[in-house]
Amino acid sequence: MIKTGLKGSKTVYTFPGTEKEAKNRIKWRENVVAYTFLGPALLLLLLFLIIPAIMSVYYAFTDYYLLTPDTRKFVGLDNFINLFKDPIFLKSLANTLKFVVWVIPLQIGAALGLALLLNKQRKANTFFKVAYFSPVVMSLVVISVLWLYLLNPNEGIINNVLTYFGVSAQPFLTSPKQAMFTIVFVSAWQGAGFQMLIFLAGLQNIPGDVYEAAQLDGMNKWQRFIYITLPLLKPTSIFIFITTLIGAFKLLVQPMVMTQGGPVNSTMTVVYYIYQTGFTDRMVGYASSIALLFGTIIGLVTLAQRKLVKEEDD
Amino acid sequence: MKKWFLVGISLLLILAVAGCSKGKSVSSDGKQIVTMWVHVSDDSEEGKVYKKRVDDFNKKYESKNVKAKIEFIPRSGNGGGYEDKVNAALTTDTLPDVITLDGPNTAAYAKSGIIAPLDDYVKDQDDLLPSIKQQGTYKDKLYAIGASESSVGIYYNKKMLQDAGVDLNTLPTVDNPWTWDQFMALCKTLKEKYNKPAIDMQLQSKDEMLTYALTPFVWSAGGEILSKDGTKAEGVFNKKPSVEAMTFIQTMLKEGYTTRTPVKQAFETEKYPMKFSGVWTVTDMETNFQKVDYGVMPYPVSPKTKELVSPSGSWQFAMTQKSENKEWSAKLVDWMTNKDSNLELSRTIAALPVRYSSEKVLTKEFSDQMNVFMKQLKESGHARPVTPAYPQVTRAFQQTIDDISFYDQNKNIKKVLDTRATEMQAAIDKANR
Repeated sequence: MIKTGLKGSKTVYTFPGTEKEAKNRIKWRENVVAYTFLGPALLLLLLFLIIPAIMSVYYAFTDYYLLTPDTRKFVGLDNFINLFKDPIFLKSLANTLKFVVWVIPLQIGAALGLALLLNKQRKANTFFKVAYFSPVVMSLVVISVLWLYLLNPNEGIINNVLTYFGVSAQPFLTSPKQAMFTIVFVSAWQGAGFQMLIFLAGLQNIPGDVYEAAQLDGMNKWQRFIYITLPLLKPTSIFIFITTLIGAFKLLVQPMVMTQGGPVNSTMTVVYYIYQTGFTDRMVGYASSIALLFGTIIGLVTLAQRKLVKEEDD
Repeated sequence: MKKWFLVGISLLLILAVAGCSKGKSVSSDGKQIVTMWVHVSDDSEEGKVYKKRVDDFNKKYESKNVKAKIEFIPRSGNGGGYEDKVNAALTTDTLPDVITLDGPNTAAYAKSGIIAPLDDYVKDQDDLLPSIKQQGTYKDKLYAIGASESSVGIYYNKKMLQDAGVDLNTLPTVDNPWTWDQFMALCKTLKEKYNKPAIDMQLQSKDEMLTYALTPFVWSAGGEILSKDGTKAEGVFNKKPSVEAMTFIQTMLKEGYTTRTPVKQAFETEKYPMKFSGVWTVTDMETNFQKVDYGVMPYPVSPKTKELVSPSGSWQFAMTQKSENKEWSAKLVDWMTNKDSNLELSRTIAALPVRYSSEKVLTKEFSDQMNVFMKQLKESGHARPVTPAYPQVTRAFQQTIDDISFYDQNKNIKKVLDTRATEMQAAIDKANR
């Protein structure tokens, strides 16, 4: 027997290789089980995300051209210098920012509105929740093709309805002025259902007594919304804001399927430009540099956002 | 415990590495295997012809211990699918022995050593049409042979034109083409009669069709997209003839003779009287729209030069440099483009011949409309520019068309051409390093 410790005023003795070691062995086994389950996923992440990302960072400083892989050489900051002179990249950046600035209030506003409407316990609500959420689970490609047909300037239903009511047919995706905003609308329509559910969860976490107390104090519906609902929704809102923001920066499928970046490059986004430069034009080095720059920008935006949020809390 | 964990991880890694290894080049019965990728799906008419020719090849050479295997990788609208797979295979060194490629890609693939010259293996090249040889040649060596040729023309609805008072006997032929002004006069008559665009020029297509169909206007005006050696776009594409060609297209749009957003299948459903399309539409008309009695007109020509120019070029077969079995790969390329293959393909998908021998046979079999295409191709076919930077060059051209089609915002055509020529030049310089 060995003296292993004190429990209160009593001295505890254990046999070697028993209680404490048994505990360690159990912990070790739990870790092994955990890592074995994580193993395949970690391996895939490593192979398909982490390693390619690291390789891409390296390629960003080379002139890697896919058709001549053997002539790849280090070119330092050349790619980045050319990036800032590249009018299409600058346009794609401007377009992406335009999209982000427009889609966030639209999508989040719609989600919040829908959540508020569906917050009550009505039988029909389940149907509405499913209906508003179903675009979220549909493939973005399917949705883009669907809206492409709806928005067709000649045969699309939307223009048919508009002209029926005396409004002139709109060019939508075929006009440089309207195309990006049309994509904003389609994207907000598709994504709002998801945020709606999260807002609903957040709203339902607000205890009913708070509203009762406010009502007794004489607050009207609008005041209750501003002074109770919104502040108590803050953590939910921040989460939704960040996830929508990051998702918006990644815009690729809708312009790729609906407008191929046109008309006149008005819907070319950064991620689409990376794809075009890397896969179609085969200039992998240049594409990697765009990806690196863009990733850094998003990282900075996210950091700035977190700082701002923290400051507000204080 | 630790031991089992490590064993498990190593097993996973071994499996992963095994999955990446190259396929065998010898089949189980000891035959040499020659692998081929084609860019169409196996249930398309073209795919069925290729499959049959591969089966015929295997039957013919059964005694020689060689077997050809075909894989179908359909390409999608804007170049994805097939081209992406070829690009991916480049990086992992898993290209097959034989691939198909679109004409303009020949330069890029040949320069990068992806495809191998065929001259040592394909000795008889005299039967090949000159445009086919030109398309598949890079720096004086033949790298690829076209499976089919193709052309673009103006389909017109005979009844709709007659109803508008047009005498069909005055319409242009390959020997007597019309100028742009004469053509626009016809469009004016048709537009006034039917109150709709006279012709669907497929300006809504955002792909190679724009380049293929519209570059001849620049050439007819006496201009070029790139210099003959493919190294210059600036000072070549943005010269006066290009401005004239683009002005013609812009005028067609401004006057409402054509539109940026045509109704789908407008010609086929007899809403628009004319359509600018390739020879492949003939099959569509015969299969799905037999009601329409149509004729085919050649390209209109520049009023200054009066020179008829039409596009040429299509997909080809080539042998990859990494092929371990060059003799049989080249034989397969030759087989897929020989007279019998060509006849079978042309008869099935209304493609134009690539050889003098098949041309002789087909002239007698082809309809009048097909013969217009064939004659136009023979006498005025012009291949697209040869450059390793073709993807960027064609995109810049398509965007030029896109830009000038918004005529209110882009009244200064020269400025648009200058911008796009600079883009092309940057891409060419990068690719030629």
